[in-house]
Amino acid sequence: MEYVSPEGLRLDGRRPMEMRQLRAEIGTVAKANGSAVFEMGNTKVIAAVYGPREVQNRSQQINDQALVRCEYSMANFSTGDRMRKPKGDRRSTEISLVIRQTMEACILTHLMPRSQIDIFVQVLQADGGTRSACINAATLALADAGIPMRDIVTSCSAGYLNSTPLLDLNYIEDSAGGPDVTVGILPKLDKVTLLQMDAKLPVDIFETVMGLAIEGCKAIANYIREVLLENTKQLEYRRGL
Amino acid sequence: MVGLSVGEKHFIQGGIAQDLRSDGRKRLTYRPIYVETGVIPQAHGSARVRLGATDVIASVKAELGKPSALQPDKGKIAIYVDCSPTAAPMFEGRGGEELSTELSVALQRCLLGGKSGAGAGIDPTSLVVVEGKVCWDLYIDGLVISSDGNLLDALAAAIKAALSNTGIPKVDVAVETRSDEQPEVNISDEEFLQFDTSGIPVIVTLTKVGRHYIVDATSEEESQMSSAVSISVNRKGHICGLTKRGGVGLDPSIILDMISVAKHVSEQLINKLDSEIAAAEASEEES
Amino acid sequence: MRGLQLPLSQTQRIRLQRALEKLQSLSCKANSDASVTVADTIPVNYEDALLKGHGTTDLNGDLVATVCGVVERINKLVYVRALRARYKPEVGDIVVGRVVEVSQKRWRLEINFSLDAILMLSSMNMPDGIQRRRTALDELNMRGIFEENDVVCAEVRNFQHDGSLQLQARSQKYGKLEKGQLLIVDPYLVKKSKQHFHHLEQFGIDLVLGRNGFIWVGEHVEARDSMVVDQANSSEQSMVPEEKNKTHTPLEMRQNICRIANAVRVLSTLGFSIDADLILETVELSSTVKIDIHDMLGSEFHVLVAEREAERRSLVGKRKR
Repeated sequence: MEYVSPEGLRLDGRRPMEMRQLRAEIGTVAKANGSAVFEMGNTKVIAAVYGPREVQNRSQQINDQALVRCEYSMANFSTGDRMRKPKGDRRSTEISLVIRQTMEACILTHLMPRSQIDIFVQVLQADGGTRSACINAATLALADAGIPMRDIVTSCSAGYLNSTPLLDLNYIEDSAGGPDVTVGILPKLDKVTLLQMDAKLPVDIFETVMGLAIEGCKAIANYIREVLLENTKQLEYRRGL
Repeated sequence: MVGLSVGEKHFIQGGIAQDLRSDGRKRLTYRPIYVETGVIPQAHGSARVRLGATDVIASVKAELGKPSALQPDKGKIAIYVDCSPTAAPMFEGRGGEELSTELSVALQRCLLGGKSGAGAGIDPTSLVVVEGKVCWDLYIDGLVISSDGNLLDALAAAIKAALSNTGIPKVDVAVETRSDEQPEVNISDEEFLQFDTSGIPVIVTLTKVGRHYIVDATSEEESQMSSAVSISVNRKGHICGLTKRGGVGLDPSIILDMISVAKHVSEQLINKLDSEIAAAEASEEES
Repeated sequence: MRGLQLPLSQTQRIRLQRALEKLQSLSCKANSDASVTVADTIPVNYEDALLKGHGTTDLNGDLVATVCGVVERINKLVYVRALRARYKPEVGDIVVGRVVEVSQKRWRLEINFSLDAILMLSSMNMPDGIQRRRTALDELNMRGIFEENDVVCAEVRNFQHDGSLQLQARSQKYGKLEKGQLLIVDPYLVKKSKQHFHHLEQFGIDLVLGRNGFIWVGEHVEARDSMVVDQANSSEQSMVPEEKNKTHTPLEMRQNICRIANAVRVLSTLGFSIDADLILETVELSSTVKIDIHDMLGSEFHVLVAEREAERRSLVGKRKR
């Protein structure tokens, strides 16, 4: 099947290096300490953060830092074919773990000892790149909750089909059987914090694809920063003196 | 759920007795309802309903399947509700399962009618394509994003709105088939049949606190309830289903009174909901 | 952006937009320029001996923000004031909390902080008013003073070495809050002022603005003389709960309580900072417009309050000049 036409257009009309439309909204869940909705094309994800608060389970308390917990769940209607089990299956557990490790690396946990931070991510629509959208949404929600972080984390995926590196795969491109590289970076520190790949890829092409994903992450970081800055300014002027 | 002190509980009960609740509502007033349709473009129909801080999404997906041997002239409908942990940390893992099951069963009872499919709010005979061979399986999924009481009413309203928003693709059936073969079907991408939602009921939950009942309880008020009765009423004023929650026993005359109160409240609710759905669909078409 | 989750008609949307734009133009421009997000570099003069405060961290010699907020500089101290965040306690703050647990010689209170706060039995006045050593009997009777889920008003005493918070409730004005409702708003909306207890005489209502974002609106109770009860009396009272039930809050006072509570809710939704004067003005506005108590939570009133606030701030600005 042809994923990139001879004119250089993908199945949804994008160019190979073009990312999908991004949209972010802060503060959707009123009861949570921080929450956000993040959309990458048709992939739509809600993240909610509760905390820092007192640890509920005494045995899990860590004396010199905060405990970070994360749960990832997909709605029944999120994928094309209805899913039977929204959570608890192996893929969800793995993604929960990945998100937790990524966010834990950037939160300054030593500033909130013996407390607990819960991150809940709910996928409303899945169209490829759910892992990345979840991490981006979680970053926004943590910033909305005012939790100190050493840097924001952004994530993007890239692949290689029809001999072309492609940025931000959607579901059809993802299930084509080609490689899928997901990268998460700390843009300011310029460090990679998450790197996952499946299928096989020659090393030099891997470098190109990873570089492309990192470019995508930086673009997302700019967008997220803009959204957060706008939100901060709005809160400040509304509050008045 | 955050607990309440004795003084606060007393205040809430006093308010309900005096017909002035904590946020100024009367006993039979609903919070403002906010409806958005088409929030899940991948589904055949979807809607999001906000009732105060309660936020729920309902989506409708239709897949082709085979009707059951017992009812060859009816399609199948399944309702399933999930409580997302974003609504409350206690819904994490398996914590929300009990509540989800309770809500799913209550909705099934109110909207789908009995085991034979009789008296359903949604007419399953409209879902059949080829009798005995091909029918539509309708999967209605509800997701609770934020919870501040009265989930059942909000979910029922969301399902009604989602069904109004649903377009079932038109199916062309190949005529020349032998009777024991699966007929070929051609699902159209262009034409859609709108669902007829005038017969779909709404659910009115009456929560009894002390000697009075209130409509649309917040989670604080729900923690004070002695019992709650959810009644599903359709446009004609017919009762399509009834569920009682809470351990305290109720006098039968009180239940009859609650039913009449529910019928009275449901008229306004149905009108309000229909106008909100129409407004939501209009704004969805504009954007 | 934190959207107003209300159904707004077209005209209402335009009016609200206009009011918010006016507020934006009136706001301090310096603050707007000083807004930062996570990992933004803070412009500083590195030759000065700087004190790095909250919300900042050192990164390769640069000063970098760790939260989203506004940079504040006071003498040599540079810090980032976070807007939406958990409560940041300061010694001497008045807070309102809810009892989560009653344990040995202390109560644990939830106060919207990263950890629960502790109120020691010794930091609490005894019901009989005598200053004495707490006996084992007092320990067993702790639930007679505060039990689980009670709403308590107290003052921040100090920080423990491990970061947890200690409260004290020694004065007459602190203690249990009953007969009213508790509202939760963001802590950044409640500013430190001289007075946090407001006795609104015209309504006969107590308004307690906890610095942690918990706001209590309730019937006025005389300063704790009623707390001085004998043990005998308290046991008598517990035997006649029916009597207590009959003495509900009178309807008019309840209406005032609900009006004030709704005013706080509206101000919190719109993101305006909350103080007693503003709450009273909002309540007056609702009475002038003759709006139903419940409709105060509707779109029209929100737009009216936003417009009125824009007016008020522009007047204040003009007066300053």
